[in-house]
Amino acid sequence: MESTATNALDLLPLLLCGAWLTPLASFVAILFFGKHMGAHGKTAGLVATGAIGFSFLLSCIALFGVWLPEHPLSGGHGHGGEHSEEHHGEEHGDEHGDGSHAALGGSPYQLTALAGGGDGHGDHANNPAPPHINGEWYSLGEFGDLKLTIGYYIDSLTVLMFCMVTLIATCVHLYATGYMHDELHDFTDPEVTLDNGELLTRPGRYWRFFQYLSLFCFSMLGIVIAGNIAMVFVFWELVGICSYFLIGFYVERKSASTAANKAFIVNRVGDFGMLIGLMALWSSLGTFSFGDLKNAEGEVVEQGMFSQLRTEENDYKLVPTESMAVEQARLSSDSEGEEAAEGEAAEATEEDATEETDKSGQWLLFIAGVGIFCGCVGKSAQFPLHVWLPDAMEGPTPVSALVHSATMVAAGVYLVGRFFPVFSPEALLVIAYVGCITLFLAATIAITATDIKRVLAYSTVSQLGYMMLALGLGAWTAGIFHLITHAFFKGLLFMCSGSVIHAVHTNEMTEMGGLRKKMPITAYTMLVGCLAIIGAGIPLTKIGLSGYYSKDAIIEQAFSFFGENPGHSLLLVAPVIGAMITAFYMFRLWYMTFCGEPRDAHRYDHAHESPSSMTTPLLIMSFFAIAVGWPFLGLVDLLEQGRPIGTQATTQGVLLPSLVLPDEHLSHLEPIKTQAGLTAFTAAAAGLLLATVIYLWRALNPAEIKQTFTPLYRALWNKWWFDELYHVVFTLPTLALGKVIAAIDKNLIDGLIHASARGSRGVSKVVELVFDRTVIDGSVNAFARGTWDVGVWLKRIQTGSLRQYVMFIAVGTLFVYLAATVVWLS
Amino acid sequence: MSLNDPAAFLSLLVFLPALVALVLAVTPRWSDEATKFVSLGTTFVTFLLSLFLFRSDIGPEFEAGVAEMQAMFAVDWIPSFGVQYLMGLDGISFPLVILTSFLSVLAMAASWPIQKNVKAYCVLYLLLVTGMLGVFMALDFFLFYVFFEVMLLPMYFLIGVWGGPRREYAAIKFFLYTLLGSVLMLIAILMLYFNSDLTRLDAQQLADSGVFPVAAEQSADEAMAAWLESDSVLAADYAAGKEAGREVHTFNILALQQLGQDADFSGFDKEALFGKSIQWWAFVLLFIGFIIKVPSVPFHTWLPDAHVEAPTPISMILAGILLKLGGYGIIRICYPICPAAGFELANVVCGIGVVSMVYGAFAALAQKDFKRMVAYSSVSHMGYVVLGLGVWSANAGTEYNPDYWKMGVNGAMFQMIAHGISSAGMFFMVGVVYDRVHHRNLEEFGGLFGKMPLYTGMAIALFFAGLGLPGLCGFIGEVFVVLSVWKYSYVLAVISAFVVILTAGYILWAIQRVYLGAEYKGPHGDALTPMTMRETAIGAPLVALAIVFGVYPRAILDYMQPSVDRQVEQLAAWTEGYEDRLKTTRAIIDEDDQMASARPTVN
Repeated sequence: MESTATNALDLLPLLLCGAWLTPLASFVAILFFGKHMGAHGKTAGLVATGAIGFSFLLSCIALFGVWLPEHPLSGGHGHGGEHSEEHHGEEHGDEHGDGSHAALGGSPYQLTALAGGGDGHGDHANNPAPPHINGEWYSLGEFGDLKLTIGYYIDSLTVLMFCMVTLIATCVHLYATGYMHDELHDFTDPEVTLDNGELLTRPGRYWRFFQYLSLFCFSMLGIVIAGNIAMVFVFWELVGICSYFLIGFYVERKSASTAANKAFIVNRVGDFGMLIGLMALWSSLGTFSFGDLKNAEGEVVEQGMFSQLRTEENDYKLVPTESMAVEQARLSSDSEGEEAAEGEAAEATEEDATEETDKSGQWLLFIAGVGIFCGCVGKSAQFPLHVWLPDAMEGPTPVSALVHSATMVAAGVYLVGRFFPVFSPEALLVIAYVGCITLFLAATIAITATDIKRVLAYSTVSQLGYMMLALGLGAWTAGIFHLITHAFFKGLLFMCSGSVIHAVHTNEMTEMGGLRKKMPITAYTMLVGCLAIIGAGIPLTKIGLSGYYSKDAIIEQAFSFFGENPGHSLLLVAPVIGAMITAFYMFRLWYMTFCGEPRDAHRYDHAHESPSSMTTPLLIMSFFAIAVGWPFLGLVDLLEQGRPIGTQATTQGVLLPSLVLPDEHLSHLEPIKTQAGLTAFTAAAAGLLLATVIYLWRALNPAEIKQTFTPLYRALWNKWWFDELYHVVFTLPTLALGKVIAAIDKNLIDGLIHASARGSRGVSKVVELVFDRTVIDGSVNAFARGTWDVGVWLKRIQTGSLRQYVMFIAVGTLFVYLAATVVWLS
Repeated sequence: MSLNDPAAFLSLLVFLPALVALVLAVTPRWSDEATKFVSLGTTFVTFLLSLFLFRSDIGPEFEAGVAEMQAMFAVDWIPSFGVQYLMGLDGISFPLVILTSFLSVLAMAASWPIQKNVKAYCVLYLLLVTGMLGVFMALDFFLFYVFFEVMLLPMYFLIGVWGGPRREYAAIKFFLYTLLGSVLMLIAILMLYFNSDLTRLDAQQLADSGVFPVAAEQSADEAMAAWLESDSVLAADYAAGKEAGREVHTFNILALQQLGQDADFSGFDKEALFGKSIQWWAFVLLFIGFIIKVPSVPFHTWLPDAHVEAPTPISMILAGILLKLGGYGIIRICYPICPAAGFELANVVCGIGVVSMVYGAFAALAQKDFKRMVAYSSVSHMGYVVLGLGVWSANAGTEYNPDYWKMGVNGAMFQMIAHGISSAGMFFMVGVVYDRVHHRNLEEFGGLFGKMPLYTGMAIALFFAGLGLPGLCGFIGEVFVVLSVWKYSYVLAVISAFVVILTAGYILWAIQRVYLGAEYKGPHGDALTPMTMRETAIGAPLVALAIVFGVYPRAILDYMQPSVDRQVEQLAAWTEGYEDRLKTTRAIIDEDDQMASARPTVN
C-alpha cells in the first residue's frame, strides 16, 4: 500500500522544488557570468528562458504526471446542477501519504445541497482539508516550541499555480528575448536628456534584465510553494524587490526610479499591516504553518494554523482557539487599564463568560485576517494602496505582462485564497468591500487614460478587485478561477500592447490608430484578450471565452450573496456596473489603437508586425485566453479539489450575526445563474456598444462628452487625486517630521549638551577666578612666602663660624638623644 | 605553557595586537607601506587565531550547542580586591569576538588611504583591537572596565587626529559622552562590588563562575578544596571570610550574576537612594552607560558627529563593533545581575528601544549627508537590539511563555551581528565614494550605477541588508524581534512594525539619489573610477556574509542560541520565583504598583 502511490506523491515536493530553484540557478549564473554570455550577454536570455521552460516542464510533470493520476478529477464537468451523485469527502481526512485512497473517493468535494435541489443551506456537512502534502526543508530558527521554517505546502492550487506561473513566465521570457533586443547593443534612451542636451547612450543591459526576471520567477514560485505564512512573507518581500528592480530597470530615468521606490514603499505599507497580522497569529497560535506536520508514522506532531482553527469537532467551522481567546483577553486588559488587573474584574468576566465564549478570540482573528489582507492590498494594488501599479508601468512591457498583471500582483489574491480558512466572515466582508471599491474606482480611471499600458494597468487593478470581491463573498473557486483566467488574458493584453509600443515607439493611444492593417497578429490576438476580459460568451450556454466563465461565476455569487444580505447591495451593483465599464474601456483601447485612421502618419508608416519571437507567445497566450476556462478541461474541478478546509458550508458571522456567506455552490443553481448570466451579458454588451458608438462609428464625439462632464472628467483624469492626497497627507508630513526630529537633535539635544559644556566651562572659569586665585593660589603663595621667610630667618644662623656649628651639632645630638629616650621610655 | 591552554591562547589573541603596537612604537620609523602591512598582517593573524576557536587542533575549541562558558580561565591579579584576570567565551560573546577580529582585518585594509602619521595610526588602531577583543572576553568587572577604557582613548585620537574638518569637536563629544558612561558604570561597579558576597556561593556556583578551575573528572567540591589549599590570596580571603561571617567582595561578573539571581541573597536589594534599591540604581547607571554606547535616544548625538568626522575604517569599527558593546553590556551585565530592576524597568527599556527605532528612522530621512544618514540608520537599527533585549520580561504578570522572550533576545543578538556586517559595509561603501569625490552631499550624487557597476551592486546589496530584505542578514534579526514584541506589548509591536516603512523610505531614497539617475551631479566626476581590487576584497566578504547569514541564520544561532536560551531560562525561573515572593511578602497595593509599572507606556 505504501509503495507506488506514496512514492509518486513523494516526488511532488522534489519536482516543484526543482521547478522553484531552477530560476535561482539561472539568476546566479547570469549574475556572475551574464556579461560574458555571448555577445552583449545574448545567451543570458536563452539561459533564463531555458531555466523557466524547464521549470514549466517540471510543473507539468507534477500536475499531469503525479497529481492528476493520484487525484483524478471527478466525472462531472463544469458546474451547475449536473452533479447528481452525492460525493463524500470523508476519505480525504487522511489525504496524503495515502493519496491513492483519497483518489478512490471520487470527487473531493461535495455537492449534496445541489443534489437535493437546493433545499436550503447550512445543513450539509462541511468539507475537511483538501488533499495536500506538506513538510519542512529547514528551519531559520527555533525557540522552544516556536519554529520559523522554510517548507512546502502542496495542494491542487499550488500545482496549478506552478503551471500557470511557469507557463506565462516562459511565454514572457520568450517574448522578452525579442522585445529587449535593443539592449543588445549600446542603447540610446529617448527619455533621458543629459545636461548637455544630448540623449543618454549607455551599454545595453540585456543580460541584467533576464537576471532580474529569473530572480523574480524564483521568488514568485517561492510564494506559491510556501508551507507557512512567514515563508510567504519572505518571498513576498523578495518579489517586491524584484519588482523594484524591474520597474526601475531604466535606472537613468528619474520617473522609473521614483516609480520603483513608490511601488516598494507602498507595498511596505501593506507589509506593515501584514506584520501585525503575523504577530497576532504568532503570539496566539505559536505556529505559521498551513498544514499539520506529521512524523513518519503519520501522527500529527505539530498542528498547523488551519487545523487549529477549524477542528473536526467543530465541523471545520472557524472557531478561535483557546489561546486566541486568552491572547485577546490579555490585549484588552492591556488597553483597558486598571480594572482588568483588579480582583473584581474576575467576577465580571465570569458573568460574561457564557456570552463571551462565542466571541472570545473573534476580534483577534479579525485583526489577524485584516492584517494579512493588508499585505494583499499592497501587493495586489487594492484600494487604498492601488496607486503604485499604474506608475509601475515604467518598467519594460514584458515586466508589466509578467510581474504587474499575471503573477506578482495576483499573489495578493493567491494569498487570500491560500489563507482563506483563517479569514472570519467579518474579515471577508472587509475584503469584499475593498475589492468592490477597487474594481469600481480603477475601472472609472481607466476610462480616461490614454497611455495604453496605464489603461491595462487600471484594468488589472480593477480585475484584481473582482477577484478580491469574489473571495470576500465566499466564492473561493470563482475568485481563484478568475485569477487563473485573468493571468492569461491580461498577460496576453500586455504583450500585445508591448508589441504595439515596440512598433510605434509610444505609449500614447492618441498617436495610434489603424494599426490593424500593419500588425494583424497583434491586433487579433489583442481582440481575443479584450473579448476574454469582458467575459464574452453566449449567455445561458457554456460557450464562451475564459473570462466568461470566471466573471459569471463572480456575478453569480454576488447575486447569491445579495439574496442573503440585501443590505449589502453595493457588492452587487458595483461589479455589474464595473463589467460594463470594463467592456467600454477595453474596446475604447482596441478601437483607438487598431481601427480608424492613423492619428500619427509618421509613426504609422514605421509600424510593422513584431518578430516571431514576440508573436509566437501571443498566439500561445491567446489560445489559453480562449480555452483555459472551458468546462471540459476541468480547471474548476481541479480548483474544487483544493477547496480550503471548512469553506463548503454556508457560514454566518459571529461579530456581525446578520452576515451570511452563502455556500458557493448555491450560486450555480438555475435561478441565480440565469439572472446573473443575463445581467453580466447585458452589462458587457452595453459597454461594448457604447465604445463602438463613440470610437468606431464615431456617432458621438469624445471631446464633446468630455466637455459635458468636465468635473467628472477631471476627477478621472487625475485618478481621483489619490497621488496628490497621499503626497499631502503622508509624504509631506513624514518628511517634515524627519526635519523636525533632525532639528531636535541639532538644537535641543545638542543644544543642551553645548549649554552644559558652556556651563561647565563657565563654572571652571569662576572656580579659577574665585577659588583657584584666592584659596589655592593664595595658600600656595602663602606657603611659598612662609618658606621664603623661614629661609631668610634661617639665613641668619649660617654664620660661617665653625665653633658655632659644632655647638649646634652637639646640642642637636643631645636633643635627639633626649627625645629618643623619652619616646623609648614612654 | 602551551597554546592549548585557554589562558595562553586567549591572552595571545587579545594582546597580540597590543604587542605589535608596542614593537611598532619603539622601533625606528618604518616605511608607511610596511607599517600598514605589518598591522594588516597582525589583524589577519588575530583573525586566524580566532578562527582556530572553531577547531580543536590549536587552542581551545569553542563547541556549538554548549550553553556554558568555555575556555574559561582565572589568574589572580589584584588579590587584595579580589580582582582576577578572568576571561572566557560563551555563545553571547563568541560571535562578537569573531565579528571583531573579522572586521578588524577589513577595517585595516580600508585604512590604506590614510597618509598622515601612519605609524601612530597603526599603533592606536592595534591598541583599539586589543581593547575590543578584551572587553568581550573579560568576565571580571574590573578587567572589563579596564578594557572598556583602553578602547576609549585610541578611539578618541583616531577620530580627533585623522578625522574630517570638525574632528576635534566630534572627538571631544565622543570622549565626553563615553566617559560619562564609563563613570556611571564605575559607580555601579563599585556599588555592586561593595554589596557582593562571594561566601554566599557554594562550590558549584564558584566553579561555574570561574573563580577556580575544575579539572576534568573533578567535582566542584574537590576543586574547591584544592583551591582553598593553594596559596591563592583570594582563596585565603574566602576561607577567612567564610569562617568569620565576613563578606568577601567580588568583581566576578558570573558570580555577581549568581548573586543577583539568588533569591536568598539580599545584598543588592538594600535601599540606596530615594527608596530605590541598590540594584535599581546599579541597573539604571549601567543601562545609561551602555545605551550611550548603543546609542539610544536621547544619548545618541555623539554618533552622527563621530561618524561623519571619523575616517572610513574607524567608522566601520565604530558602527560594526563599538556599538555592539552597549547591547553586549545590557545582556551580559544589566539583566542577569540586576534582574529585579530589569523586571521593573522593562517597559522603559523597550520604550527607549522603540523610540530610538522611530526617531533614528525619521532623522535619517531628513539627512543630506550620506554618512550622517547611515549613522542615523544605525541608531534606528540598534533600537531593535534594545527592544529585543527588553522584551525579556515578556508577559510580565500573566501567563509565562519564555519562548517568545528567547526569540526576542536571540533576535537582538542576531541583529547585533547582522548590523555589524551591514553597517560596517554601508560605511565602507560611503567611504569608497568619498575617497573619490571628497564630498558626501546626497543631493550631489547620481548615476554611479553606470560608472561603478560592481560597486553599486555591492552597495545596494549592503543597503538592502540594512533595509531588512529577506535573504539578507538584516531581515532575520528584525523579524525575530518584531514578532516577539507583540507578546510583551502590542502597542510597541505595532510601532516597531511601522518602522519598516520608514526604513524602506530613507534607504531607497538614498539609493535613488546616489546610485540611480542619468548622470553624476557633483564635483570630481572624473575620479569616479571602478572599485579597486583592495576595495572589492573588503566589500565582497561583507556582501557574502550578509547573504549567508540571511539565508542560513543557524550559522550564528547554533553557537549563540544555547547561551542566550540558558540565560533567558534562568531569568524566567527567577521571575516566576520573584512573582511568588512579591505576592507573599508584599501588600496587595505594592503588587498593583508593580503591574501598573510593568504595563507599557509609550511616548
